[in-house]
Amino acid sequence: MTWTNWLPLAIVLSSLVPGLIIFSLREDQTRLRVALNLGGVVVKLALVVALIAGVDRGLQFRFELPFLPGAPLVLQADALSLLFVALSSVLWLATTVYAIGYLEGSPLRSRFFGYFSLCVSATVGLALAGNLVSFLLFYELLTLATFPLVVHRGTPESLRAGRVYLAYTVGGGTLLLMGVALLHGLAGSPDFQPGGYLHAQVQEHDLALRVGFVLLIVGLGVKAALIPLHGWLPRAMVAPAPVSALLHAVAVVKAGAFGIVRVVYDVYGASAAAELDLMQPLLWLAAATILYGSVRALQQQEIKKRLAYSTISQVSYITLGVALLGPIAAVGGLVHLVHQGLMKVTLFYCAGNFAETLGVHRIREMDGIGRRMPLTMTAFSIGALGMIGIPPMAGFVSKWYLGLGALEVGQDWVLLVLIGSALLNAGYFLPLLWRGWFAPPADWHENNWANERWETHWMLLLPAVFTALLALLVGLLAGTALSPLGWSQLIVNREFEI
Amino acid sequence: MNLALLSLTLPLVGALLLILLRPAGGRWVIMINLASTLAAAGALHQVMQTGTQWLELGGWQAPLAIRFQLSPLAALLLLFTAGLHLLVALYAARSRHAIGGEDFWPLSCLLQAALAALWLSGDLFNLYVTLELLSLAAVALVALAGAKAYRPALNYLLLSLAGSLAYLFGVALLYGRYGVLDIALLSELAEADVTTRLALLLMSLGLMLKAALWPLHLWLPPAHAGAPAAVSALLSALVVKGPLYILWLLWSRIAPVELAQSAGGLFAVAGIFALLCGGWSALRAPYLKTLVAYSTVAQLGYALLALGLLLRWQEPSLSAALWLFVLAHGLAKVSMFLAAGELQYTLGSKRVRALKGASQTMPLALFAFAVAGGSLIGLPPSGGFLAKWLLLQPLFQQPQHWPWAIGVLLGTLASAAYVFRVVALGFDRARPTPASFHPDRLAQWLAMLPALLVWCLALISKPLLLWIGGVSQ
Repeated sequence: MTWTNWLPLAIVLSSLVPGLIIFSLREDQTRLRVALNLGGVVVKLALVVALIAGVDRGLQFRFELPFLPGAPLVLQADALSLLFVALSSVLWLATTVYAIGYLEGSPLRSRFFGYFSLCVSATVGLALAGNLVSFLLFYELLTLATFPLVVHRGTPESLRAGRVYLAYTVGGGTLLLMGVALLHGLAGSPDFQPGGYLHAQVQEHDLALRVGFVLLIVGLGVKAALIPLHGWLPRAMVAPAPVSALLHAVAVVKAGAFGIVRVVYDVYGASAAAELDLMQPLLWLAAATILYGSVRALQQQEIKKRLAYSTISQVSYITLGVALLGPIAAVGGLVHLVHQGLMKVTLFYCAGNFAETLGVHRIREMDGIGRRMPLTMTAFSIGALGMIGIPPMAGFVSKWYLGLGALEVGQDWVLLVLIGSALLNAGYFLPLLWRGWFAPPADWHENNWANERWETHWMLLLPAVFTALLALLVGLLAGTALSPLGWSQLIVNREFEI
Repeated sequence: MNLALLSLTLPLVGALLLILLRPAGGRWVIMINLASTLAAAGALHQVMQTGTQWLELGGWQAPLAIRFQLSPLAALLLLFTAGLHLLVALYAARSRHAIGGEDFWPLSCLLQAALAALWLSGDLFNLYVTLELLSLAAVALVALAGAKAYRPALNYLLLSLAGSLAYLFGVALLYGRYGVLDIALLSELAEADVTTRLALLLMSLGLMLKAALWPLHLWLPPAHAGAPAAVSALLSALVVKGPLYILWLLWSRIAPVELAQSAGGLFAVAGIFALLCGGWSALRAPYLKTLVAYSTVAQLGYALLALGLLLRWQEPSLSAALWLFVLAHGLAKVSMFLAAGELQYTLGSKRVRALKGASQTMPLALFAFAVAGGSLIGLPPSGGFLAKWLLLQPLFQQPQHWPWAIGVLLGTLASAAYVFRVVALGFDRARPTPASFHPDRLAQWLAMLPALLVWCLALISKPLLLWIGGVSQ
């Protein structure tokens, strides 16, 4: 065992250990808690950088522990896992800073930050998981770690949301377990590999493979909020803003989408999935989810609810890109994993800032907010315009590749879905921007942090500006090799052996 | 074999000495349990080297002899019994409210000795004797809770006697038909004639009654919920597993294959009903310990399902699933009952509703409950998950077996529902606690210890399966 074996484990532990220590802290040990939180973040980022540098030099990182008979617990780094690990680590940095500012002075912070760290550990473990069984382990841990965050406020409404969340995710997790067990019976649990490992079974076990696929996709679709499994997501909006950011951009929803990518590319493989005729239904489902989410978002009058339905729609772009089964569309789907994360997390930070600073929750209360909070509103505008897909923003890059990919595989109707969704996106985001910038200012009852140097607490402002800048940069610099786009192309080249 | 006998005699002698000399029990019992655990571990190590060992009591040869047999599984169960007694004793020595009186100590030792003898017995009559001893010790332990537990204890006693009687009839029938009671000998002789069928039916009914397997479980919830917390832990984790072990011996060893196959379907269906009915009752239970007791009924359904499918398909790998369910459930249930006892003592109410906000007032105990619950649901990497995984493997091998997976699915969802009912309540807002509110941190940690152990079970799956698998070869 050398350091290349231990690095993936160390990345998981770098948030797990601080999390467990934080649980045992007293409420008033604020400094120690902040130090542990930020220390964990910094260590994790450093380790992730080391991992990326190592993979770039061609080193193999693999940690193995005996687990189930015939299925070890494997953590390893490949191009796809690095994409997700890097995303969630960077966003964890921003969200930790945001959460420290957001929860300043509120009760039960040790509990909150403990579970917060567990949640990120589970996400990173899930990204690094090297086979289906390990993936399942971290997927379930993620469910458990997120529940206390959803119900953190302890109000009847949040408890109800928590119950709905559990009903959906535990049900999904059980189906996922069934699917994993079924596939393990057919082909064991080898490591994920580009091109999948089930191709040899297609002739003999086509029924079992189809059933297994449905079980896996339904299990993952709960977290990825595919219709009709999305019901928990809008309700979970009652959670504090950092939790929403975590659910929508860093961890939970992403975990579902990432799982779908894994299953299609690295378990079944594009060719086996095509032979089994599995992709067309998934494609329809993804397209339907995109349109449904956008239409429902249009009907919402609360900012966070609107953003929630927008997530349902936007995350399905990832599934859509995967389900099209062409290399160009795949690039679009994968890159959207990162782009959507950056844009959506920005939007949620901003929504949280509006609510915390001025008590603004509903859309009509946003009138003229751009004059009182110009930086937040600018960040919000960058996120919203990116979501609509205005060139050269990040969202445009994703949609461009998705559209080209659809044409490449001859599914022209997908283009209509994309255009329709872009129009709907414009329909539900542009009124917000217009109100924020151009409408006469409303009369806000609360005005916290009015005497601060900045428009709001700096720990709330900084993350929003930081992620907005990132969202802008990944769009502008999409052509460079180290951008998410370049990285996605690398992953896709390996999968489709181009 | 000597070490195994030591692990059996230590608690037996300990019980007698405790009754005669009446010292303060806790410290002595912990020492006895510790020594017994070490001896059992040694026995397990030995038997893995040498294979199954036999001991003829009194020096007679088979078929006259009464034989003790030490298989790897028996040694593992011996270790399990001693280890769980140790964990419970550690907690009980700290939390005097959970034992119902000093008589707990000798009785728990007696219970341990009876169980150890049961795992080691190799013939049907010997098993009957240990079963009776076990039931008497268990009933006495339930009655420790005082006057309000007399009624459930009496019910338990009467039904247990009825079960023993049915079992004894069966044994007599078999003895009349074949002239031997040694299990290894009977397994070669048994045929599917009327006498054997009747004997198996009677014995199975008696054992199912004693093990509280659905639909003969109704005595269990009042008895287990009414007993002191440490007693409930022992009853749920260990006592009901004794008759289950005999049932497994009976059907997988003695019963002719064609009988076993048809009975297997019935067992499996009963197991699914147990999962659903037990889960539903647990979901509706107004009291915390009743909830946990009903969860025992439900979880025994998993064991019954594994047993049924094992018989139906003659698939020996399923006995590993069966025994893992037993081990995982034992550890988890100890933790759950101890946590429940600690919660209801400190919060001053037996109701589930009283747990509102427990994640703030008593985070450790609630966490122990949740972690143990995770194993009951079967979340990775707990022992419950490992057992469910092993159950699912043969089940997915042929498409015509897939419908059974729906039973497992429903069982999982039912257990998730009642576990999260409690956990979700714990995250409700807490009322301010009075100044006199002092939860015992050490006791809560002791309650959590078995739950932490059960979460590591999957990580030692390899040796575990070796120990269990030694038997089915």
